[in-house]
Amino acid sequence: MAYNIIDELINNLTKLPGIGRKTAQRLSFFILNMSDDEAKKLAAAIINLKEKARFCSVCFNIADKDPCDICSDPSRNKGKICVVEEPSNILAIERTKTFKGLYHVLLGALSPSDGITPERLKIQELLQRIKSGGIEEVILATNPNTKGEITARYIKDILKEYDIKITRIAYGLPIGSDIEFADEVTLTKSLEGRRDM
Amino acid sequence: MIKRTEAIVLKNKPFADADLIVTYLTRKYGLINVHAKSPKKIKSRFGSSLEPLTYSNISFFGKEDASLPRLIQSDIINPFQPLREDFSSLTKIYEMLKLCLTFLPEREPAEEVFILLLNTLLKIGANSDSKIFRLYYKIRFLDIAGLLPSLDICGRCGTPPDTNRRHYLFYIADGSIICNNCAKNERNPFILSKGSLNFFGSILRWNHSSVDRIKAPEKLISELLELINSHINYIIGSKFVPKL
Repeated sequence: MAYNIIDELINNLTKLPGIGRKTAQRLSFFILNMSDDEAKKLAAAIINLKEKARFCSVCFNIADKDPCDICSDPSRNKGKICVVEEPSNILAIERTKTFKGLYHVLLGALSPSDGITPERLKIQELLQRIKSGGIEEVILATNPNTKGEITARYIKDILKEYDIKITRIAYGLPIGSDIEFADEVTLTKSLEGRRDM
Repeated sequence: MIKRTEAIVLKNKPFADADLIVTYLTRKYGLINVHAKSPKKIKSRFGSSLEPLTYSNISFFGKEDASLPRLIQSDIINPFQPLREDFSSLTKIYEMLKLCLTFLPEREPAEEVFILLLNTLLKIGANSDSKIFRLYYKIRFLDIAGLLPSLDICGRCGTPPDTNRRHYLFYIADGSIICNNCAKNERNPFILSKGSLNFFGSILRWNHSSVDRIKAPEKLISELLELINSHINYIIGSKFVPKL
């Protein structure tokens, strides 16, 4: 009987990305050995996430309230918007603790191969935020790949008519890497984007 | 067994957290899918070499019948970076890639198509107006794939087109021009001008190196492109050219 319960948990955990049967088995036995409190906290966190998570109507970040904590934080610089593809990108930028402006999540990137056109992204909503005024700078922080690049260029083109500063996050070599192993495109971009010292 | 070949990235698809399934058109092995481990990580050795359109020398490893060989090396020959920096130009180029993705069977050598695609990308990269190259590519591709629309004889009775006429009737469902006798009760033909018909014949005779010397009227190129796109849409059974 106990094995059926464990099997059920294992089967459900294997549905998660990157979790195979062995990892699911290890996690299941770890959960079994957790204290009741910890296990309940974990279960409650999952239920909470499913019940309360929603998109912020301003920036389209995932949050438990609308507008989200970032949009409603009075200490943040409301003149700067950092445009990202996915909510998970906000977590990565927030970890740097260097950006104190607001965000705008596009919920994807343009992709001709997948039929993702501008109407399917939150680009119109970004335009509305800019039209409502008070924005001085838009930082395009889409991924440095083909989809991210064409998305950034598309947004740059439609924002040209507004009197705001448009910037793109820098390309270049990762810290700790070696020039010898960098590919041509990355190296070209880092040479183009060099700066005075 | 390790295999090495020249290849062009047609598309890539996320797999697990940081991996990609990359679809290549290769010189030696035709269309293949390979598994690239962790290219999304900052210090990946693949760098930008797995982005669409990149022309590179690749090495991959897998058993003869492995469905998804592992990519172990990718050295860029030409990244074609400028071609993929603009949404509308990439969308047009994607129409060309989609022909390969739709019509080429996996692991069937298709060197002729590989050379056609590579030469077209090189030509488009050096010219601001890519329309004639895209038209040339599509017509030659359909010719190689055996899917070319028939514009030299009536698709039903086999009579050659009347050379005195200024316009001809092309029927998408027939994939062919139809003479006036056979088309009596048919509706909604695609009206093809005599100039376009002759231009189509010329494109099939020209080789790649002479395409950039062609100074064809814009109207003819647009008319033929529209016909070819409609023909492809009909074969695929879906919208081939995405609406922007």
